Amino acid sequence: MGSQLALKSRIASTGSLEKIFNAQEMIASSHIAKARSVALNAKPYADAIFDAVQAVVAHSHITHPIVRKEEDNPKVAVLALTSDRGMAGAYTSSIIRETEDLLARLDADGKQPQLYVYGRRGVTYYKYRNRDIADTWEGDTDKPGVEVAEAISNALMSAYMKSAAEGGVSELYIVYTEFINMVVQKVRVLRMLPVEIVEAPRDFGPDIPDQPDSDEVRPLYTFEPSLEKVLDTILPKYIQSRIHECLLEAAASETACRQNAMHTATENARNLIDSLTRKLNASRQASITQELTEIIGSADALNTKEE
Amino acid sequence: MAESSKTSIEVNIVAADHPVWHGTAKSVTIPASEGGMGILPNHEPVLTVIEGGTVSVVDPEGERHAFEVTDGFISFDSNKLTVAVERGRDVVRTEGVDADAE
Repeated sequence: MGSQLALKSRIASTGSLEKIFNAQEMIASSHIAKARSVALNAKPYADAIFDAVQAVVAHSHITHPIVRKEEDNPKVAVLALTSDRGMAGAYTSSIIRETEDLLARLDADGKQPQLYVYGRRGVTYYKYRNRDIADTWEGDTDKPGVEVAEAISNALMSAYMKSAAEGGVSELYIVYTEFINMVVQKVRVLRMLPVEIVEAPRDFGPDIPDQPDSDEVRPLYTFEPSLEKVLDTILPKYIQSRIHECLLEAAASETACRQNAMHTATENARNLIDSLTRKLNASRQASITQELTEIIGSADALNTKEE
Repeated sequence: MAESSKTSIEVNIVAADHPVWHGTAKSVTIPASEGGMGILPNHEPVLTVIEGGTVSVVDPEGERHAFEVTDGFISFDSNKLTVAVERGRDVVRTEGVDADAE
């Protein structure tokens, strides 16, 4: 049995760890509410863009490069959304595993994937392994703003709009974590470019109503100044809004992952403290018993001598 | 939609990260890419690109609301106007502007 002093110090340190885990868990649960409200606030804009894109699509056969890329280019871009901070369980590692799988699949298809990484954990992972990264972004993975979505979509769009000779890419994949509910988050691979215009399920919770008027007949719009100009403006915005949506969903997943991980960690710390306390009690009792036996034994020895 | 000649527009101004304003108006002026554009009720359905500038809305009481916006686009149909911009904020709220009759 270990020394009582060692056990006591282990109990104390586990106790302070437990406090940290507990605090992290509470922070994460307060952030979830914030992540939900951010997602809610971004929804009207995403809906407006989506409606506009639908209206344009209904109006014409689009030949815009965002929708269909003519040339054959083996280069493709892969964007992995990881987290800035750890303590989120398997969040980043499952993204990295899925990204590696995707890269291997693309390689096998004869494509040349270029890697873009968002989130400090992912960046350090790939930097440490000396992998080629086309571009990285860090900061605010738990509350991504419009600015970072703009930076990411600008970089990726400019890579996409370049021709193959200039080092452009022909497809864009995003690896992110879908927020299903507080307990379940799923890693998903999404092909963002070229665009397939389908309605994305945007479900951050039960109290967000779905679009009520999605079945309505789309009116025939006039486009000003011209259909091409409108397309040129709206499609990049659509991409940016979709990317922002992915970022927000990833942020919600990250927070939920962190909360779950910290919850488990707190429970584990408590269990550890319990079992350590039991050990401490047993070892204290053992030392008392030993002392008693020694006293009684020596007293007996003295008594027998006197007789 | 044309025969139900309404006299007000339902306006919805949304920025990428938050809804900016929602309400009714009797006229709206937007900074369209080809110059300013005024929208009155029963305008034909239109989808147009706008540039950074000021969207000004005159509500049914004749009060003018101004919103500073970045670039984006507007869509208008059946008297519903959606202004979608990257960033927008409510700037000036001048009172008592006598909006001239249609």
